[in-house]
Amino acid sequence: MILIGEKINATLSSVKAMVQNRDAIGISDLAKRQADAGTSFIDVNVGTGVGSRENEVQSMEWAVEAIQNELNIPLSIDSADPAVLEAGLKTRNGKPSMINSVKAQKESLEEVVPLASAYDNPLVALTMDETGIPKTVQDRLHACEKILVACERYGVSMENVFFDPLVMPIGTDTTHGLVTLRAVTEIKKEFPKAKTVLGISNISYGLPARNRLNAAFLHMAIYAGLDAAIVDPLDGEIMAEVKTAEVLAGKDRYCRRYTRAFRK
Amino acid sequence: MQKQEVLEKIAFNVIQGRVEAEDEGFDEGLEGRPAVTELTEEALTQGVHPKSIVLEGLTKAMDVVGEKFEEEEYLIPDMLASAECVGAAMDILIPHLLKAGVESKGKFIISTVAGDLHDIGKNIVAIMLKGGGYEVIDLGADVPTERIVEAVRQHQAAFLGLSALLTTTMRVMGEVIEKLKEEGLRNNVKVLIGGAPTSSEFAKEIGADSYCKNAFEAIDVLKTMAA
Repeated sequence: MILIGEKINATLSSVKAMVQNRDAIGISDLAKRQADAGTSFIDVNVGTGVGSRENEVQSMEWAVEAIQNELNIPLSIDSADPAVLEAGLKTRNGKPSMINSVKAQKESLEEVVPLASAYDNPLVALTMDETGIPKTVQDRLHACEKILVACERYGVSMENVFFDPLVMPIGTDTTHGLVTLRAVTEIKKEFPKAKTVLGISNISYGLPARNRLNAAFLHMAIYAGLDAAIVDPLDGEIMAEVKTAEVLAGKDRYCRRYTRAFRK
Repeated sequence: MQKQEVLEKIAFNVIQGRVEAEDEGFDEGLEGRPAVTELTEEALTQGVHPKSIVLEGLTKAMDVVGEKFEEEEYLIPDMLASAECVGAAMDILIPHLLKAGVESKGKFIISTVAGDLHDIGKNIVAIMLKGGGYEVIDLGADVPTERIVEAVRQHQAAFLGLSALLTTTMRVMGEVIEKLKEEGLRNNVKVLIGGAPTSSEFAKEIGADSYCKNAFEAIDVLKTMAA
């Protein structure tokens, strides 16, 4: 399983402060702790919600620079704004990166998919379109189709695409879990070369004992065929659950990673 | 790579349980490095005698695995991974051993008795015996008594290994031995038994030649028995 560490997100007040104060030690330390916990990518989202587009571009350049000066690990450059994505990728200067994200919307596809082609980086593609997040599995697959067409046009291979069929809080509608899980299974069936990714912890938003819901949902998603997960790697429980789910789903030869983690 | 070095690497990777380069080992971070399959080929290319590969690469390593299992450092999947390595190496080596004229230590028929489907332990023993130089004929699991006796006759086997994991099926081992007596074959074949509910006392009771606690003990017991 490919794990993407979600902690560097400027919607969290502590990270927002790091970005605003240009706290290079703080941000690279947060990246390092996630890398040490076993993630494959560190997500970098510096959108503080205040300030101009130019502001977010500069913040992204600073954050990427600060992290890669200290650490040699793939980064997930995370923004809804193509200009910010491009600034991050330029700063990476060819080092392994993931582009997070594009959606099935004309403008986004035309601006972000060419970046994935030019930089030859994996691309997270949200299965949402102009109308928002589709309610049904079928409509999420339609969004995938649109993304596929754009990828073919700009020469991005499906192996490089991580479809994210979007996790919505179970607390607002108890059908949300199954729609997302079925979408994972269907995407794997319809687009066998593509990969799938989910931001697991969104499932438990607004409910108590979030760890329990996150862990159970992760198990179900791995069974459904999930390839990658955006998680909080500093939550030891969730990292343990990844190993548990993978061994049970037959993805851990001779239980290696499971026994390495838990043998006495 | 020096001959000694390649043999040490084979042994290391058997202990790590890595069949092919892409495999994870017991320890972290070994993926991508040559494993037992690649190293065995490499040793043969270098002209290392296949028998040295078996003795210094595989057998020595499995002794270490046995110790680690006894000390409970290794768990069942760790041992299965190492056994798979020995099996993969033997598949490569057997034609070369035959060509080099290395004699078999004797035919060894192995089987789980009728009514019993457990075969993990039996399979490990089979692989270990192959690595130990025996010509192993594995009849599988849930094998009717008549078929086992017939196989002993047909192959004129020197050894018969019987496995049972259930208290309800261990008795069948005694029936196999009785049948061997009836058919006049009992004196031609050494019978070894194993499996969780069995014991030395039980072996004596049903008239088997020896009880073996595990694959490693089986090898030791066989050393004391002439074919």
